[in-house]
Amino acid sequence: MEHKKYWQSFGELNQSAAYEASSNDEFQEELPFEADDKGLFDAKTPRRDFLKYMGFSTAAAALAASCEVPVKKAIPFANKPEEIIPGVANYYATTYVQDGDAISIVAKVRDGRPIKIEGNELSPLTQGGTSARVQASVLDLYDTARLRFPMADGKEVSTFEAFDKMIGSAMSTLGSAPVVLLTSSVTSVTGKQVIDQFLQTHPGSRHVTYDAVSYSGMLLANEACYGQRAIPSYNFADAKVIVSLGADFLGTWLNPVEFAKHYSIGRKINEKKLAMNRHIQFESMMSMTGANADYRYQHRPSETAAVVLALYAALGGAVSAPSLDEKLKKAVAETAKQLNASKGAALVVCGSNDPNVQIVVNAINESIGATGTTINWGSTYNLRQGVDADMAKLVDDMNAGSVGALIINGANPAYDFFDSGRFADGLKKVKVAVSFNTKMDETTQLCKYVIPDHHFLESWGDAEIKTGHVSLLQPTIYPLFKTRQWQDSLLKWSGATGDYLSMVKQYWMGKLGSESNWDKALQDGVITPASDSGASGAGFNSGSVAAAAGALSAVKPGTQTELVIYQKVSLGEGQQANNPWLQEMPDPITKATWDNYVMISPAMAKSIYNIDITTNKDADAYEVHPEKPAMKVTVNGKSIELPVLIVPGTQPNTIAIAVGYGRSERLGKVAAGAGKNAYPLVAFTGGNRQYAISNVSVEKSSADFIVAQNQTHQTHEGRTDVVLETTLATLKSSPEMFSEKREEKVEEYAKYTRDYAKEATLYPHFPRPGIKWGMSIDLNSCTGCGACVVACNAENNVAVVGKQEVARAHDMHWMRIDRYFSGDLENPNVIFQPMLCQHCDNAPCENVCPVSATNHSSEGMNQMIYNRCIGTRYCANNCPFKVRRFNWSDYMSADSFPDNQVGIISDASMQMNDELTRMVLNPDVTVRSRGVMEKCSLCAQRLQDGKLKAKKASRPLLSGENGEWDVKVACQQACPSDAIVFGNANEKESDVSKHRVENNGRIFYALEMLHVLPNVNYLAKVRNTDEVIHVEKMGEKHASEKVS
Amino acid sequence: MSLKYESQLREPLVDGNKDYHQITEDIIRPIEVKPGRLWYIGFFISVALLLFGVYSVYREVTYGIGQWNLHKTVGWGWDITNFVWWVGIGHAGTLISAILLLFRQGWRTGVNRAAEAMTIFAVMCAGQFPIFHMGRVWLAFFIMPYPNTRGPVWVNFSSPLLWDVFAISTYFTVSLLFWYSGLLPDLASVRDRAKTKLRKLLYGVASFGWTGSTKHWQRHESLSLVLAGLATPLVLSVHTIVSFDFATSVIPGWHTTIFPPYFVAGAIFSGFAMVQSLLIVVRRVLNLQEYITVGHIEAMNKVIVLTGSIVGIAYLTELFIAWYSINQYEQYAFFYSRANLFSPYGWAYYGMMFCNVVSPQLFWSRKLRRNITFTFFMSVIVNIGMWFERFVIIVTSISRDYLPSSWSYYYSPSIWEIGFYMGTFGLFFTCFFLFSKYFPVIAVAEIKYVLKTSGENYKAKMDTVENQKVEEFAHDHAH
Repeated sequence: MEHKKYWQSFGELNQSAAYEASSNDEFQEELPFEADDKGLFDAKTPRRDFLKYMGFSTAAAALAASCEVPVKKAIPFANKPEEIIPGVANYYATTYVQDGDAISIVAKVRDGRPIKIEGNELSPLTQGGTSARVQASVLDLYDTARLRFPMADGKEVSTFEAFDKMIGSAMSTLGSAPVVLLTSSVTSVTGKQVIDQFLQTHPGSRHVTYDAVSYSGMLLANEACYGQRAIPSYNFADAKVIVSLGADFLGTWLNPVEFAKHYSIGRKINEKKLAMNRHIQFESMMSMTGANADYRYQHRPSETAAVVLALYAALGGAVSAPSLDEKLKKAVAETAKQLNASKGAALVVCGSNDPNVQIVVNAINESIGATGTTINWGSTYNLRQGVDADMAKLVDDMNAGSVGALIINGANPAYDFFDSGRFADGLKKVKVAVSFNTKMDETTQLCKYVIPDHHFLESWGDAEIKTGHVSLLQPTIYPLFKTRQWQDSLLKWSGATGDYLSMVKQYWMGKLGSESNWDKALQDGVITPASDSGASGAGFNSGSVAAAAGALSAVKPGTQTELVIYQKVSLGEGQQANNPWLQEMPDPITKATWDNYVMISPAMAKSIYNIDITTNKDADAYEVHPEKPAMKVTVNGKSIELPVLIVPGTQPNTIAIAVGYGRSERLGKVAAGAGKNAYPLVAFTGGNRQYAISNVSVEKSSADFIVAQNQTHQTHEGRTDVVLETTLATLKSSPEMFSEKREEKVEEYAKYTRDYAKEATLYPHFPRPGIKWGMSIDLNSCTGCGACVVACNAENNVAVVGKQEVARAHDMHWMRIDRYFSGDLENPNVIFQPMLCQHCDNAPCENVCPVSATNHSSEGMNQMIYNRCIGTRYCANNCPFKVRRFNWSDYMSADSFPDNQVGIISDASMQMNDELTRMVLNPDVTVRSRGVMEKCSLCAQRLQDGKLKAKKASRPLLSGENGEWDVKVACQQACPSDAIVFGNANEKESDVSKHRVENNGRIFYALEMLHVLPNVNYLAKVRNTDEVIHVEKMGEKHASEKVS
Repeated sequence: MSLKYESQLREPLVDGNKDYHQITEDIIRPIEVKPGRLWYIGFFISVALLLFGVYSVYREVTYGIGQWNLHKTVGWGWDITNFVWWVGIGHAGTLISAILLLFRQGWRTGVNRAAEAMTIFAVMCAGQFPIFHMGRVWLAFFIMPYPNTRGPVWVNFSSPLLWDVFAISTYFTVSLLFWYSGLLPDLASVRDRAKTKLRKLLYGVASFGWTGSTKHWQRHESLSLVLAGLATPLVLSVHTIVSFDFATSVIPGWHTTIFPPYFVAGAIFSGFAMVQSLLIVVRRVLNLQEYITVGHIEAMNKVIVLTGSIVGIAYLTELFIAWYSINQYEQYAFFYSRANLFSPYGWAYYGMMFCNVVSPQLFWSRKLRRNITFTFFMSVIVNIGMWFERFVIIVTSISRDYLPSSWSYYYSPSIWEIGFYMGTFGLFFTCFFLFSKYFPVIAVAEIKYVLKTSGENYKAKMDTVENQKVEEFAHDHAH
């Protein structure tokens, strides 16, 4: 059969020449340029085709450019790990370990990344409490300055095997020269075994424990008195009278989270239980703990010995009372009376590092029956074990050239040793110097070999905080960098075959009996003693007391200016100095960020700088400018120039400087710019480092400094609508004094319904069934520690702005702790008031927003719609609490104008916007862009999560009913003293409702007279003093304060 | 019997022996010739300022409000101060055009055109601030209530800022219409005198085909009256609403019921001062002393002393009420933050008191009222004082409000905040220079209207008439 031929045109049918030509040349029109065999790029463009050619190339370039969008890969799991559901957080119990500190925590892990740390509620010590440093430690994991690989002579070593080989060969050259392992206090039980194992393989070697801030005096005193070089447990919960002699036990001393938790238990009062512990503080500078004291007395730092002796004498100790001034004498007598009255339920703690002082303190504790009741020798702390003499000997040995190898973990003496120069010199004489540290700290910089350690969130391990109380570590993320846990390295170097994990597991399985017990313990994160055996004492050897007292009575009080070197609540000893959250956290007392400074008394300000802060003129001029006067402090020929902050409550002859600042550039950009190093000023007397130094010369300096504070005004100007306080005696005599006043107002404005929202307004009232969020903050519990501030930052992706911006009052914190001084300027009362969005039901911010970007939810929440906000700032202006924060610059790199902020925002913000650091961001919370207002959202993401949880369980949301919680907000969860209670205020059984009912006598709303109807209430602060303030008199007192 | 009535109190509104043609010559001539050197110098300085302002705004928009020194406590500073100040200045024009028209104040004709132009330019300047004070100015359209696909999401009608949007845009629209409708006959005059085609075309288009027919005049008069009627309440409402930004808030020092009348008086006060500053220069530069006479200046000085005194009473009332309220927050705001030379912003309060209340009292003296140099000096002082007033209200109040913990650092402007303000001066004067070059700065048609009753020429003619015999008069006027 013949094939049919199909044709499209006659041309095709006839096979014409024209058709042939056209079918061979598909694009018949001429190309816009001459195509010759030179190729496209050499083609000549005729003048007449210029426009065509240009159009083509522009279009092509535009097309090519716009096609090139960055490829963002989101790869789903091929095999989904069983426990990971994208978008759902997992929680792992582990332990915050920072040198000698150990706190049981729970890490929140989202999609494989730890993003938030909570306290572990199963720990009987901290009971879910955290500190600012614990909260911030998750950011250290993502620190851009972390060491990323092992190094020798500053060069990367490709593998651990190669590194181990290098160490092996280096060690083999040592001969008989001893190996010294220098660490900060090791709390790990198995870690100590690892060390022992290592030391055994290197005969003649030893382990030296060195803590940045020494507790050596206490250890030695306890050794003298009790035969144990250890620190016993302190039970602040059961102490009715707590006397602290310069110990900042709520902020920085020993184990502040535990102490704050237990202290707050003793300070909780309600209408049924109008009793609380009494806290008496003797100190030279204004510490956070002193700020919380019921009675606070000042003395020169050099008078510590005299105060301790006098107190011992007043308690019947066989010492002669030294001479003290009248005020102090009375104070000591009064304190002794209080202690005597509560024998067996009293506790004296002392922050001095002088063994003689601590011996007398031990004697005092013996005489008031504290040992065996509030002091438990049955369980001793492992948190601080370093004895200064060991370190001093090591430095001598190093300088003598008799140390072969120095292996350093945690310790950073090149920075924090008082004679760091000598340590550094000695280190040069050490043949092999190895550092395990995670960052290029000052000591690591001097070491030839660096093998970076894991962050604790990447580590396995255990920490025995005190005898019987163990907290386990488990990794929450695969190690980010080429790092190895120091225990593993030491095991390798001591020739062990197994790894550290199997060792930990083996050890604890042996202790706990079975693998399932180990699993359970790992899940819980803590191993606690089976039964609370109660406190036990220890044999007290009083022999040392007389000698100690003798030595102390020889101490003459100084006559010149004296210096106290202290730790800031935010930075502590300074290990976390490169943490922007901590640097930007305001100090509880001075409210300063990003700096250390000299704290001076108002009297000294007057005598040296002629600033009289009792006059409004000087006070205003001082407070409204971040530029502060400067001071040059000289101690034993070493001098330091720092800005000055006038802090009421500082002893007039005393100045105070914080450690932890003035870091090396290589530790990180954040740390490098902040403050100056005060460690070199530490004295070394009697074999121990001393933090109180007499005979300091101070002079005015002309250097320019700015100090960035987030609160500048000192007092509350007698504004009792803002904050209320009273004394326990007053509250007992008239428990209704606050409620009566509120009652009068209710009678006046809301007689019929007793509800301001229904009456006292022109507007209709709409019922709001269901949930109504409410918060209650007990000012009596708040210690001002700032854990909530950092927790809020971490939970809500709050921007870090840097020092310059804080000094321009551009700080972004959603939560702040207002600190007010009142009363005597030289020794004022301090009150802390956590201040956050009050979620007013009648919010002044809401009705002024022209675009309704902020509005009210049916659950009583004042909410922000970021993408609706146009940034008029009217809401912030009209907020009576000034809690709204505006994104002045693109702090979070979330802007529509990307990457134009170099030179505009600080290095700190830049660091926070690094790809690595941004892993810490909470994916549930929008990152706010420039030009947008923000403020506390009551952790809206958590509330949604909690509601979902309740919904899935088909029951109403639980917020504290029978101790069950579906939701806790970040600040509430972080608070070590349970000052913040949050929940559904419409539910009678919820914690917040009960809290309000039980404390009707102390409840108040800030600025209630404005009729803004806040959903956050406060409970008045109560000081446990015997002074009765009459209600009428209180009015007068405030009236008189108002003038100043 | 006298046919001529010459007021013993009122001076003639137009000096010199002017006839209609001469007026047209005097006023329209400057449009037709090249401007003088002074004009060029002034114009280029203005443009330079404007460009600096544009750059300042560019910085702010590109890098954020952080380019300014506002902070968490002082969320509004120079931006809103300048806004209120410019809006205030924009008050005199409409007052002169509308209210004085309704009250048949003939003297307004000499100054109304320039004053209205000033109003429009001042409102244009004012408008920049609320727009560019926004953190995300590219979303400024969110404040317009229009159907949208976002829900629809509506604006918040209870926000005073939104009222501002309506108040100011209405005011601007009405003022512009008023000004432009007044311009029509004059633009037609310019067109008729035009010698080039282009000029003829442009002014022809701009004058909307005005022919000067009776019908046109009749409609023009009606329109003027209608617009005057519309504009009169606006004079009172605009600054009232601007004052609501503060009065409806809860901040001590802002939450003040006296604000609406006090703001309106202050606005007229500053508006007249600005008119004085401008016209004293313009009459000199464009040789218009015979149209803008000392009489005009004196009349405006009277308004200044009146409104200045009203403002002064308002200040004292505020202090009294703060004392009388026994409200410690009010008392702190007024007695500590403001009326206290040693408080951080005390200097601004005393600056305001001196400039606004004390110094205008000198105008009780007729000699000083008629002294042009002194008037110029005073007009500048008054405007500085009125700037201080807004600064004092805005900044001292929010810098120290309820919680002492939130009191923060001293607010002083950054270079870009100052630059933005300077830029609006640039905008204002650039517009004004262009206006004086291309538009008749005095309402030609209207001044001719008052010439009949007030010009020297008319008086001379009346004198002759008076001396004429009846027959002669009848003869002369016989048709």
